[in-house]
This record gives sequence, structure tokens and C-alpha cells, in this order.
Amino acid sequence: MEPVLDVRHLRVEYRGDGRSVVGADDVSFSVGPGEIFGLAGESGCGKSTIANAVMRLLKPPAEITAGSVRFQGRDVLAMGAKELRSFRWREIAMVFQSAMNSLNPVLTIGEQLGDIFTTHEKLKRRAARERAGALLELVGIDPGRLKAYPHQLSGGMRQRVVIAMAVALEPRMLIMDEPTTALDVVVQQEIMAQIRDLQRDLGFSVLFITHDMSLMVELSDRMGVMYGGRLVELAPARELFAQPLHPYTEALMNAFPPLTGPRAELTGLFDAPRTADSCGFHVRCPADRADCSANIPDLREVAPGRWAALTGGGAR
Amino acid sequence: MSEPVHLDESVHGDKPLLQVRGLTKEFQVGSVFSRRRVRAVGAVDFDLPKGRITALVGESGSGKSTIARCLIRLEQPTAGSVLLDGEDILRTERRRASRAYRRKVQMVFQDPFGSLNPVHRIEHFLTRALVLHGRPATRETLRELMETVGLTEDMLDSYPHELSGGQRQRVAIARALAVEPELILADEPTSMLDVSVRVGILNLMRRLRDERGISMLYITHDLGSARYLADTTLVMFAGELVEGGDSLAVMDAPAHPYTRLLLSAVPDPERAGGYDPVERARLREAVLHPTDCPYDDGSCSAETPVRHVVGEDAGQPHWVRCHLYAPAPDIAHRVLKTADTPDPEAENTPV
Repeated sequence: MEPVLDVRHLRVEYRGDGRSVVGADDVSFSVGPGEIFGLAGESGCGKSTIANAVMRLLKPPAEITAGSVRFQGRDVLAMGAKELRSFRWREIAMVFQSAMNSLNPVLTIGEQLGDIFTTHEKLKRRAARERAGALLELVGIDPGRLKAYPHQLSGGMRQRVVIAMAVALEPRMLIMDEPTTALDVVVQQEIMAQIRDLQRDLGFSVLFITHDMSLMVELSDRMGVMYGGRLVELAPARELFAQPLHPYTEALMNAFPPLTGPRAELTGLFDAPRTADSCGFHVRCPADRADCSANIPDLREVAPGRWAALTGGGAR
Repeated sequence: MSEPVHLDESVHGDKPLLQVRGLTKEFQVGSVFSRRRVRAVGAVDFDLPKGRITALVGESGSGKSTIARCLIRLEQPTAGSVLLDGEDILRTERRRASRAYRRKVQMVFQDPFGSLNPVHRIEHFLTRALVLHGRPATRETLRELMETVGLTEDMLDSYPHELSGGQRQRVAIARALAVEPELILADEPTSMLDVSVRVGILNLMRRLRDERGISMLYITHDLGSARYLADTTLVMFAGELVEGGDSLAVMDAPAHPYTRLLLSAVPDPERAGGYDPVERARLREAVLHPTDCPYDDGSCSAETPVRHVVGEDAGQPHWVRCHLYAPAPDIAHRVLKTADTPDPEAENTPV
């Protein structure tokens, strides 16, 4: 089946005076129709850079210097301003990290939801209002709250409103960048259940970004782990969780104290930056070997459907 | 087995560091003349034992932070007493905390990006804490403080913006340590930090307990970290403590419906059978409408429940405030059983 989103060898650089920092390097993955694909990693690993690149939201000094992004066969990187306007939201929508605070505080929820339909579907205000009410119901909020201002809603409700906005035009794909980071566990669980229901009903694909491995494994079909701007592992979520192949994946999984099992001391992740002569992780890497180099190796297929960036084994 | 817990009986033999009794905080809602009041914390009792970490868990708005703010005297409690060394600090220090109190009790806040003044160097924060509390601020003391929290001496000359979130939180902890406190109140110290540094902060707190015998109140909504770090876990719901005991016991065998709701919400791919929406809806019902609790087997009443002991682990009683546990202990077990798997026999048993 043809993938909805196909990212190939994507490289993003942040350019300064005379030097540049690589935000993402040689990242390739694809997301199939109706699939939930997760990208995991710590802050600064490049996962949000990828999301912004796919949405064409990167602004200077960030620049896409190599690779391709294709959405249902169309070249996203070649789109003009007009094409982009309809591409965003109608075909691909994004829920941002601080989504709770992305609502306009001086407009009611109804006005903000209605705006989508008056702008994109040229509906009259009355019809737009009806659609806005239906949209609120879709995410489990009483349509009576259309008259409410954002500050009158709880954090979880605001997050639902933002998700409702994202799916308003029934896009083929939804990008979610840490959608529940600011919420407590009970609300997070409810939002996640909501997203699963919506995904089942509307059939969109999801690119889901988080640092919480457990949450990601529960929700995603397939997932990739990023480190230092590169993908270090790519596999079906359950398989990756059951048996991580890359040492970094394992470290990321152990960064959260578990709720079961014996209380063992955790080591956490290494927080040294990646420098010219070190991948930054190899210092703590349990698999540190003589053939390690400063570069994170390319992904290679270790088993059917399972890709990992490992040195050795002769495949490099 | 099921009689209410006698709070004056200390858990670890010696007297607890801090005893909180009937702590209540009400906030006025609306205008200055409004009579409407919201009860954020309702008559809470607990002890903070010496050299132990006590976790206070619950969702947003349950009143966890209000308790910490009352203890550090940023809020004036409506009622109750807080005993430190047998002295009620709410009475002896009516308006605000004295310097002597602050020397014993320090706080680390959630947001390390907001708790350090951006115009000062790191050295300033530590020096000021030392000088205010009458300790000499020598280079040696500063270096020692920095090393205790895992930072290097040369960072003393840095400004907060030059440090990462994890490093800033370490500075905040060093500042609290400068006065050599007996108790540190830590309000979600890791929730604003990146995954890569969270465990480091938790390990630092653990080390401070083990090596210096500092007591801590660790406030969090991350149950995994409470289980990892704390000796005792207290569960808070809607301003009241509903369950408490040894952390492992509370997490592994939760008794109160609310604790079970909280635990069921934590993403955990290893959980057998995965997430059960029906069971969670039942739990939610029990939590939101206590008078109409689906777990009610006839033993519930409209009265406020008292604490009942359901077990004992690592020398600590595991207690729960829920009418379900009022009668004989075998009923408590039976109710738990019916909740997990429908048991036809249990339903026919007269209560």
C-alpha cells in the first residue's frame, strides 16, 4: 500500500554565522494509511524538527538541505505558498506541544471553531456554528460550551478543543507534538482514548511525538527512536518494547521508573552534548566497542521490519 | 485489624519530624465581598518521619501543592496545626515563617526557569542563602555545596540562562541545602525537566536522604517516580488523603478506588490485559459520585469515612479511607475480588 507520508533522507540544518548545527540528519520513515507512527527521543534529538519540516513550518536559520518529503505522492518541499495553505489543515493538521495555550483568549471557543469553516469551507456563520457544535460533541464536550472563553475550560478540555480544531477538516494525517505533556495522568489517559476513538472513526494517520516510551508503545503501531538528529531504531512498537536493539532505546526505556517489579537504581540518560569526536552517548553506551566511531551509523534491517543503527555485524 | 489508625503512634519508633493535624485551607471565590468558599485542603492528618521521603500523589487540583505552600507558610491555613519539635508553628509564628523555621524547612519549586533570578550569577543564590542564615560563605563551602548536587565549581560564575533545566534544578536544591535543613518540600521537582535528566534529580534526592538523613515531602503526579523514590506514599483526592502506606504496598495493592483509577491511567505496555475502559468508567463513577459508588455493597454510608488499616508492610500500616473497608477484613478482600473478576458467590453473601 502506498504510504500517506514518505520521508526520505531528510536533513535539516540550523545555520549560524559560518557554522551550522545539524537538527536532523538522513532521517527516513513512512507512515501508512490509518497507521499511528511514533517518534521518541529526549529534548533536542530532532523529533520536533522533523514534524515542523513535514509541515513546512521551519523558519530561518533552520533549512532543509537534503532529502524529500512526499505526501500521497506529492512533493511537499516543492509546494508553493497557495498550495501549502490548502495542504496544511485540510490534508495534514498539527497539535502543538503547548496547544492548551494556543487558543485565542479573547474569542469564544465557538468563534474560534467557526472560523475554520467560514475560512476554509466558505460557510455562513450560522452553518459554521452548527458544525462547530458537532465538532465539540465529537471530542466529548457539551456543545453548550461554545460560548465559553478558553480560560473557563480546564487544561484537558482546552486540549480537546485544539484536537477538535485539528480534525475539523478531516485531514488525512494528524501530527501531535507532545500533546499531553502538561496534563496529569488521568486527563492524559482520557485524551489518548479520545484520539484512538477519533482515529478509528475518521481513519486518519497519526505522527505522534513524545518522550514517554510507555505512552508511545501503548498508542503506536510502529515507532522510531531518535538520538542526536538521527533515527537509531525503527520497529513495530510492541516488538521494540519487548526487545530493544539499540542501547539508546534501552536507556530511554529505563529513564522512567516502572510501576511494577523490584525497586532497582536507575541510571538515567547521559546528558553530554554530541561533539565532533563523540556521538555523545558512547561514553555511557553499554555496547561500547572498539569499532565505534563519532558518527551514529546508518539504519540497517536487522530482522524483517526491524531497523537499528548498530555498528559491527559487517553490514555497514 | 480494621480499627482506625492511631495517629499518635509513631511508625518508626522515634518521634516524627513534622506532625500535621487537621490542616484545612479554604479559598475565597469571586469578589472581595463574596462569601463563597472552596475547600482546597480538608482536615488533613499526616506525619513526616525523620530521614524518610514521603510522596504526596494525586491529580492536578487535588490540593497537593496547597499543602506544601501551607507548610512553607506561603499560604495561611484556615485551621489545623503543624507540629515541629512539639511546637505548633501555626501558633508560634502566626503570620509568616521565622528565619529559624526556614532554616529547618526548605522548599524546591516546580519551575527552575522561574525560581532563579536571571540577573544574578549562581554564586549569588548560594551566598545569599548562607549569609542570611548566618553561615560563612567561603569559597570552600560554595564548592562543597556545588559538588554535593553534582555540579562543578566553575558553574558558580554562570548565569541561570547558561544552565540546562536539570542543572538549574540542582542549583535550586543546593540553595535549599545551604541552610542545612532537616526537611525539604519538593513540589514536582522533575515535571518540567527533560526525560534525560529526571532520574538524575531523583537519585540526588535519594542520596541526600541516605547520606544526610534529610526528610522530604515529594509532591508529584508521576506514580512511577513516587514508587521509585519514596518510603511512604500518601494519595490525595479532592483535598483529602484517601490512602497511605509503604510505597510498594500502595502501588502493588491499591485499596481505594481513586488510587486504582490513578494507577490505571498510567501508560504501561506491560500491564496484563491492557487498559480496561469499563473498569475505569466504574472507578471514575466511584470517585466522582461517592454517594453513588458502584462498589457499594451496602456498607457505605453518607458519613465521612475514617481510616482503616488493610495491611502492614515494612513496619508501616497501609490504611485507606473508604467505607468498603469498614467491616471485617475478609469483606475488604471480597470487594477487591469482585472488582477484579465478577464473583457470583460474593454477590449472594449477606453483608
